[in-house]
Amino acid sequence: MPDIEAIKSEAKRLLQEGVVEVVVAFKPGDTPLHPQPAFFTSVDEVDNLVYNGLCQNNLATFLTRIPKDKKVGMLVRGCENRSVNALIVEKQKSRDDLFLVGIPCEGIIDWRKIVERVGEAVLAVSENDYEVIIETRDGQYSFYKNELFHESCLRCSHRNPISADVIIGEPVPETNQDLANTVVERFDSQAIEERYASFQKEAERCIRCYACREACPMCYCTECFVDHIEPRWTESGATPAGMQGWHIVRAFHQTGRCTDCGACERACPMDIKMTYLTEKLNYDMRKKYNFETGLDIETQPPFATVTLDDKNRFTV
Amino acid sequence: MSQKPKIAFFQCQWCLYSQEDQNWVDTQLPKNIHLTKSPCTGRINPLYILNAVQGGADGVMISGCMPEQCHFKTGNMAARRQLEEFNDFLDHIGYEKQRVRFVWLDLQDRGIIQKQLAQFEKDLEALGPATNLVTRVKIAEGELNA
Amino acid sequence: MRKETIMNLILEKQALPALFQSWREHYDVYLPQKMERFSHFMPLSDESVLVTDEPHNTRIPPKALFLPMTEALVEFTRFGSYEDAKQTIQPRIVFAIRPCDAQAVQLLDTSFIQEGYVDPFWVEKRAKTITIGLGCHEPCQTGFCTTVGYGPFNKSDLDVLLTDLGDLYLVETISEAGEKCFQGFPTASDEIYEQALMVQHDTHDQMPVAFETENLKEKLEQNFNSDYWEEISQSCLGCGVCTFLCPTCFCFDIVDEAQRKERVRNWDTCMFRTYSLEASGHNPRPSRVERTRQRLSHKYVYWLDQINQIGCTGCGRCVRYCPVGLDIRAMLRQAQTLPFEVSHAG
Repeated sequence: MPDIEAIKSEAKRLLQEGVVEVVVAFKPGDTPLHPQPAFFTSVDEVDNLVYNGLCQNNLATFLTRIPKDKKVGMLVRGCENRSVNALIVEKQKSRDDLFLVGIPCEGIIDWRKIVERVGEAVLAVSENDYEVIIETRDGQYSFYKNELFHESCLRCSHRNPISADVIIGEPVPETNQDLANTVVERFDSQAIEERYASFQKEAERCIRCYACREACPMCYCTECFVDHIEPRWTESGATPAGMQGWHIVRAFHQTGRCTDCGACERACPMDIKMTYLTEKLNYDMRKKYNFETGLDIETQPPFATVTLDDKNRFTV
Repeated sequence: MSQKPKIAFFQCQWCLYSQEDQNWVDTQLPKNIHLTKSPCTGRINPLYILNAVQGGADGVMISGCMPEQCHFKTGNMAARRQLEEFNDFLDHIGYEKQRVRFVWLDLQDRGIIQKQLAQFEKDLEALGPATNLVTRVKIAEGELNA
Repeated sequence: MRKETIMNLILEKQALPALFQSWREHYDVYLPQKMERFSHFMPLSDESVLVTDEPHNTRIPPKALFLPMTEALVEFTRFGSYEDAKQTIQPRIVFAIRPCDAQAVQLLDTSFIQEGYVDPFWVEKRAKTITIGLGCHEPCQTGFCTTVGYGPFNKSDLDVLLTDLGDLYLVETISEAGEKCFQGFPTASDEIYEQALMVQHDTHDQMPVAFETENLKEKLEQNFNSDYWEEISQSCLGCGVCTFLCPTCFCFDIVDEAQRKERVRNWDTCMFRTYSLEASGHNPRPSRVERTRQRLSHKYVYWLDQINQIGCTGCGRCVRYCPVGLDIRAMLRQAQTLPFEVSHAG
């Protein structure tokens, strides 16, 4: 369990000593299941800081919404740290203008799994090391955390922030990519018709709200490809070609940039699965180019670079 | 009664070094092959391929230059990385991998493109018409998510 | 505005399947059905899994039945000829629509049916729809219909209102069309009717007041340049969830899909940067601050200016599904702390 007092005290220190101008973290939501991202600019405000398993947003998405030259402090879990690194590689922020407070992470609690189990009348939620305890109108419930983690977190292989300036909390045991690889391989082992049926089933619920795009730290284009009219790259509305095109291309634009954080899935109001697309791309980047996003702030992603070794891939 | 497979053909404008080959493509390309020329395969945005697929292409062929022969130095290698990955990605979600084919031509090659297109057409006939991802339909005719 | 009910009848829940089948002979029957982990209005089919008893509304509001997410308006050829898209909607009954959603459809009428312009696509669908409402005897967690002047058993825009009493519903038919749907059903006893009225009143009274509406409009209007707007919109992602799931949002974008040879209209949202982006490149709402101000003001100021009703029916979807947990109720509670002057205009 992260030491909330230690986090607050570090955030206060950063502001007090002028190390940063804003600390990006979370504050309590107006409903118990939804803490909100928060931007603390004064020491007093930090008293309101919360940090728990329901903090479901990848905070790195806000990095490109804050003026580039502002000094920013940010709480980062494993995936967020790598997202921040990926943004630095893409020159969206300088490392010198960042102070990263790293928090080892066991996983994000999927609030939908809570609602599935106990309904929506949730009055309060608390956690201990193993469990999540939920107060509802009808009584109290508790579940083991690993029943409630978001799917992406179950497959995470970078739970500990890799390049934070300070780490608050005990390191979490790391796993490797075997599970993530198995999930992709299992999907690919299905017959092609089944794969298409799965894809269609997910894509057809899309309402083109672009919550996935906005929640993603790597989707920061001022003008997204769907906003182009000349040419119109993909159909504009909730038509099969449009919805499928949107999912295919948004995922593909993440190749070599995605950190498997799952924020896209958590943001979707229609419960659409989309990590099975980006996980395949990340798998291919690992297998073909031995590349993983955000492990340092220098290595270019595979699509931004070529080597003469690529010659060997040119067979007819 | 079966139609010939519809092929979307993206050709890098430099890869057919021989005037004869280029003339053949410009004037004698079979009707079921739709030609789009681009200055370099590196210019080919994966969305062009997606557009062709959604519009009903049974196959997509891309021809470009061999490594170290690209007019723009490394455009073909960038294309190789991106478009090959896009091909695998489309296969992942239901558009068979064999429907997208790359032909990398050497400056010395002559008469290769015709053979490649003919072979591709045969292979596509064996595979059958594309059904997955072919989703561009008029709203009035298709099904809509209400 | 309570409409007079014509008749009070009883409908036993076990009679529902047969009733739906009888309706299906002449109508498409739309009702909430299971889609993944939520419910959605879809036409009744043999494979339907009905979800009519959950304590909240469907994920997507039934405004989608009148204003589809994507709708063809005109079909054209390459050579310049065009014709209006054919409307293929069949007469239909929408069953178990919630009062918040039905009230919202009525509010939307004021937008699509105006002096000087009547939207033919909207009107056609409205004319062919019978609405059978299901009141909410278990109010949802995030709804605040009573706060904005409506309620869980509001009868606006309904042909029939059902009140769930366990094994049966009280059926209050409000219009002739509604009455026809329930022909032959037994009249409710006074006992049942009183029981239902009590459920209706109790549920209405139990709902907490989410924020005060008195002077809210003035406070929002008079503080146009306040820092308040920046504060409440800081973590807004600028997606379209709140507006697309909102039953009273109706903005749409008209687009020519050249490859499909159709002119369509799609749901649009004032929360997107491109919504107010002009061809010159100027954007009168350049950031989330202005766009959030627009959204709140549209619902709680401008709708009042135009038709003297709040443009929000308290359905609660925006609160439930905002990816960053923003809550319009909290925003408006905070707005109530803003300074204002009582208007001295006569």
